[in-house]
Amino acid sequence: MHIPDFMFPVAQGLVYWVIALIFIVLALRWARHSMGEEKVPLVAVLAAGIFAIQALNIPIPWGTSGHMVGAALAAIVLGSPFAGVFVLTLVLLVQGVIFGDGGIIAMGANIINMGVIGGFVGYYGYVAIMGVTKNSYAAAFIAGWASLFLSAILCAVELAIAGTFPLVLGLTFMGGYHAVIGLIEGGITAVALYLIASARPDILEHPRAVST
Amino acid sequence: METKQFVMIGIAIALAIAVAAPFLASGNPDGLESAFFSIYDAKHFTGSELDEEAAAAAEEQAIAATGNDFSYEALMPDYTIPGLDKTGEVLAIVLGTVLMLALVYGVARVAARPDN
Repeated sequence: MHIPDFMFPVAQGLVYWVIALIFIVLALRWARHSMGEEKVPLVAVLAAGIFAIQALNIPIPWGTSGHMVGAALAAIVLGSPFAGVFVLTLVLLVQGVIFGDGGIIAMGANIINMGVIGGFVGYYGYVAIMGVTKNSYAAAFIAGWASLFLSAILCAVELAIAGTFPLVLGLTFMGGYHAVIGLIEGGITAVALYLIASARPDILEHPRAVST
Repeated sequence: METKQFVMIGIAIALAIAVAAPFLASGNPDGLESAFFSIYDAKHFTGSELDEEAAAAAEEQAIAATGNDFSYEALMPDYTIPGLDKTGEVLAIVLGTVLMLALVYGVARVAARPDN
């Protein structure tokens, strides 16, 4: 879902960059207040793993493929939506600058769609569903799915504003493909959470919330 | 499990995925590209055939619509190293994974809450 530069007018891309920078500043404030030094190696490994798994495009029907984003996982494991913003901003920076995956002007929009929406929907979705189901893996799966689906919906709206996609067709096609790709996001989020919770239940921000 | 062991296993898993990705990854367009091609008639929404000519024309049309012809030459475009085939793809993703590890470690170290 990495938007390349040509899909946005420059001015629109810069507006998203300003909004993204606000969330980046808030994510840095979260880190200063809530990310203890002992978490640093974990955050680095999580980011490296997310970068690697993003390169693994999994085929879905209709001649299409999709890959994990990972913001929901980072947010759930580290206990804050801003963890998703923090990790995804750095992942998207490297992808855009070194690998040309996602635009430079469009990077602000990509940070909002995948980092901010992914982190917030992933984290609060997980907390809300946990409250109802008490099953952390079901919650992680649904929150992961929803985080990816809603990122795609916002992306379609942005591209409609840009004049690149007609609104209804854009929402239908983006929603259709990403409803399926979301299953990949939800599945890997739940499995990764299980592996991390099994190996080190103590590093999760809310260890009791995860039933191993 | 100790932190050191946990981190080492994590790095090993990330590198294993990085090495395997070029061989396992699907070359199909991703969800956004597929939606873009479908909207610009280069592909049917549920079809797997991509009309390459229409796909190239779609990009031209979008550039005309947005007026954004900014282009940027990345060092390793699309996770490849020019001149090196599969080896280059493996190398690119492995280098990216190692770079991520170092960059995020550095940034997180500076940004983190000091423990004492």
